[in-house]
Amino acid sequence: MTRERIRLGIAVAVTAVYLLPVYWMLNTSFKQQADVFARPPALVPVPPTLAAYQTAVFGDPDIARGLVNTFVIATGTTVLTLVVAVPAAYGLARLRIRWVTPALLLFLAVQMIPAVNLALPMFVLFGRVGLVNTYAGLIIANCSLSIPLAITIMRPYFLSVPGEVLEAARVDGCTTFGAFVRVALPVSIPGVITMAVVSFLGAWGEFVFGLALATGDELQPVSVVIAKLTNAFGTRWNELMAVSAVVAVPVIVLFVLLQRYIVAGLTDGATKG
Amino acid sequence: MTAVLERTRTPAPAHRPRRRAGNRADQLFLLPAVLFVAVTVVYPLVYSVLQAFQDVGLREVIRGGAEWVGFANFANQFGRAEFWQALWLSLVYTVGTVVLTYVGGLALALLFVHRFAGRNVMRALLMLAWILPTVVGANVWRWLLDGSYGLLNAVLRGLGLIEGDVFWLGQPGPALVSVIAATAWSFAPFAMILLVAGLQGVPTMLYEAARIDGASAWQQFRHVTLPALRPVSVTVMLLIFIFAFKTFDTIYLMTRGGPGGATLTLPLYAFQEAFEFRRYDTAAVATTVMLLVPLVLSIFYFRSLRREETA
Repeated sequence: MTRERIRLGIAVAVTAVYLLPVYWMLNTSFKQQADVFARPPALVPVPPTLAAYQTAVFGDPDIARGLVNTFVIATGTTVLTLVVAVPAAYGLARLRIRWVTPALLLFLAVQMIPAVNLALPMFVLFGRVGLVNTYAGLIIANCSLSIPLAITIMRPYFLSVPGEVLEAARVDGCTTFGAFVRVALPVSIPGVITMAVVSFLGAWGEFVFGLALATGDELQPVSVVIAKLTNAFGTRWNELMAVSAVVAVPVIVLFVLLQRYIVAGLTDGATKG
Repeated sequence: MTAVLERTRTPAPAHRPRRRAGNRADQLFLLPAVLFVAVTVVYPLVYSVLQAFQDVGLREVIRGGAEWVGFANFANQFGRAEFWQALWLSLVYTVGTVVLTYVGGLALALLFVHRFAGRNVMRALLMLAWILPTVVGANVWRWLLDGSYGLLNAVLRGLGLIEGDVFWLGQPGPALVSVIAATAWSFAPFAMILLVAGLQGVPTMLYEAARIDGASAWQQFRHVTLPALRPVSVTVMLLIFIFAFKTFDTIYLMTRGGPGGATLTLPLYAFQEAFEFRRYDTAAVATTVMLLVPLVLSIFYFRSLRREETA
């Protein structure tokens, strides 16, 4: 009992220290500009104010536009990933032919490829077909990495659907596609949700493709806008933290709601074939 | 642990007969994804490797067409101190991140493998560090490390460890250590999850036997836990190595590769070659080298998996 108490105490302390950066972001974001320069800094914002949010998030057209762009790109990436990856994961779970293993290895290997290695040639190739500085280009770029990850996350869910059930559906007159949509998909909804959330979160925080492929200001995701404004923010740390918090909050909310799925999905996606 | 390291080749369950019918239709499900990956991943990769053997500047990119120059770009890069510096920094950054992430992840795993109230909630909270968007994490770290008003210096000053302001990101050595620390902070919870699974797979019998033999806690860790964890440890280290070696965003957002190129790792170097100097060919040399390292490691990874399979 006492041993458990000691462990609990240590765990609470470790978790608190570990998440200090997240707390410090929120703390700073509610401070007045002048309080940022306090030495030593205050551990809580007194009085808390939304000034930084008003100025930097709602009052800054660049940041607001960046948030909208990020949302569009992340949503588009999620939709395209679902449309392409769900059937592929199903196919890979069902098939028993020679090139299933090579296909799986390909999708796994793609996840090891540095984004920079894709962003540079994409800049040239997309430039030739008019995809630089378009939502479509950014969505396609994001999907190049999110589809393979999604397939590896999704496949185990389909593997757990018994083949006999699908056979029975076909005997009852379903087409192959009908069996997939009416039988396999409904029982694999947790997997689809996991996949959608992981794709969305990946695209939401994506930086390299945005930096390389959104050369103009109008389509830049918020991550790139923040990077470009780093010098402009200067020492207005409360404002930078407010913007960061707005980017972080949807991630935190989605994570809190679905953390069991996400952690399982991500660790499996990284380690399972 | 077998659950975490499930094989790429999932054997067909015995009860399911090998079906031939329906296979043809099932293959169509794969087609869009295979085509998509071929066009958006394989083709750009091959294209960029080919670029490394051509003379590609801004003019060639705009107009198309480029001259083949054989290994001239490689010779040019291998003769540049900046290239070797970037490769060296990449290795230092990567190895540093692997060590720090593994040690941190293992420490967390040893704590969180035990049962106590609120364990799962705290484990989930730690995962936040891992899934937080890089742009958020990097900027928060820049703020924590700020020389004049940052929290870290305030704490160190309070403890009397430093006098005045220390600009962590403004000096070569400390900047590199800082980006390693920030990266490890975000990776360690991921390592923890895998290592917890590994620790749970160590048979308790082994510990009981060790205790009967009078082994201390440290001896148990040293002679039971670590050897039993080896396969998982190898997996974790390889994965973190691959993740760290390709990291661009954390470093770029924290230091832009500075000060004075002190954190200009290979991915940043390649990006700079392409987007600042418009030397697409030498950038392609750098990315090609970046491709080889994970490739070699992946081969090792799968070989180690296969060894485990037969073990």
